[in-house]
Amino acid sequence: MSLRAQYQTRLGLALIVGAGLVLLQLSRGDSAYGVFGGLGLAVGFVMQRSRFCFTAAFRDLFMMKSGRNMKGVIIGMAIATVGFGLIMANLLPNAALGAVAPEAHVNPFGLHLLLGGILFGIGMVAAGGCTSGSLYRMGEGYAASWVAFAGILGGLGIASHTWNWWWTTSIRFAPIVWFPQALGYGGATLMTLAALLGAYLVVLWIESGAPPATIEVARRPAELGFVPRARDLYATVFERGWSAITGGVLLGMINVFLYTAHMPWRIVGEYARWANGLLTVVGLGPGRLLGTEQLAGCALRSGGGLITHGLLLNVGLFGGALTSALLSHEFKLRFSRNKVRYVQSMGGGLLMGYGAGLAMGCTVGAFFSAIPSLGLNGWIFGLALAGGAYLGTYLLRYLP
Amino acid sequence: MKIDVRGEICPYPLKRTLEALDRLAPGEELEVLTDHPPSLEMIRITASQRGYAMRVEDAGPAEWRIILFKREGTPT
Repeated sequence: MSLRAQYQTRLGLALIVGAGLVLLQLSRGDSAYGVFGGLGLAVGFVMQRSRFCFTAAFRDLFMMKSGRNMKGVIIGMAIATVGFGLIMANLLPNAALGAVAPEAHVNPFGLHLLLGGILFGIGMVAAGGCTSGSLYRMGEGYAASWVAFAGILGGLGIASHTWNWWWTTSIRFAPIVWFPQALGYGGATLMTLAALLGAYLVVLWIESGAPPATIEVARRPAELGFVPRARDLYATVFERGWSAITGGVLLGMINVFLYTAHMPWRIVGEYARWANGLLTVVGLGPGRLLGTEQLAGCALRSGGGLITHGLLLNVGLFGGALTSALLSHEFKLRFSRNKVRYVQSMGGGLLMGYGAGLAMGCTVGAFFSAIPSLGLNGWIFGLALAGGAYLGTYLLRYLP
Repeated sequence: MKIDVRGEICPYPLKRTLEALDRLAPGEELEVLTDHPPSLEMIRITASQRGYAMRVEDAGPAEWRIILFKREGTPT
């Protein structure tokens, strides 16, 4: 179902005004509410405009030797690495004392993290989007992404019910490695940047195996008056898609702003609260989740108040993507005619939810915000994601 | 040849397009109807690797018609 262009623009502008009023009202209680809602909107807007996609970042490396998205992801993490290093050095000046900086996404690594990453990687390729990707495509009007969202909540609910077994048999004994403890902030930052450069070179090496692409870039007239220049700016922002590098740079910066305000960008910790809240309402709550109070990032959660920074971030992301899709006339309710897609989305969502529960985060909390937190866990989860995406890409060939 | 991949999410619009290109007769154009914005860029890059150029026409709100044709000077 499509909406005519002029209605999309009007609805988009109305949403901006509406969101602004809601955020101003919320900020009267807690000024950080406005920050998290507003930055959530910005994240959704940037992701929609730059078609930023963690799933494509991994899948397309294998499927067509394209590094478009992975380069954006790596650059975003490099920017956040510098910013997070500075923030953490302020929060915890002496890293050698054995503690980890507050709110840093540093968690134990082990079998749970590998298995979680592999399950998550398969799931995101099957569903055609990870947690953040599905959330912004929900705003663009993809019905299958709503199904994936339901699957993710279901998977997190199941993960919550099996959490105590994982905790007592494995995660409780798993080690934490946080580089600043041994290397200081400068050393840990430089080492992480060097490793990201290495990853970027690997992407270039994979791309060099693809046939050359020849694309003619449309030239724009060089001399323009003020009105055509202003129109051109509008077209650059709302009509032409942005590069994934632009998206990565902006998301890396927004992530630094978020940590400055309170915590890095994260998604599924809040989802787990929603899933377990719904389960508790119908009498199937997971009970006490052992050890989670000492874990960081998106470790499974249950309970808490209704309006949190995480909720504002997620709802903002959805709203920002919806607004962006409307203003660029790309909003449409999209239903796949192939019913297998909905099964893929549900199955992929369940795998992502369970995987994110085990790994204490998704492509965002356990990867995009974890590597800049200067811990080892983000790298291990990233490798496991690559493995899972490879398996998922292979399995995709056997689906109609 | 014409294919309609509306409602499909990544990677299916690209996958269906590449499958159709393989079945295309020499000199024939391929018309892809899509409502998935990321395909506009991905199909352009991947098709160019196979010697195809493309133009995009608006086919209604949030729908595009991609026409792929063999670039001059490339063997069919």
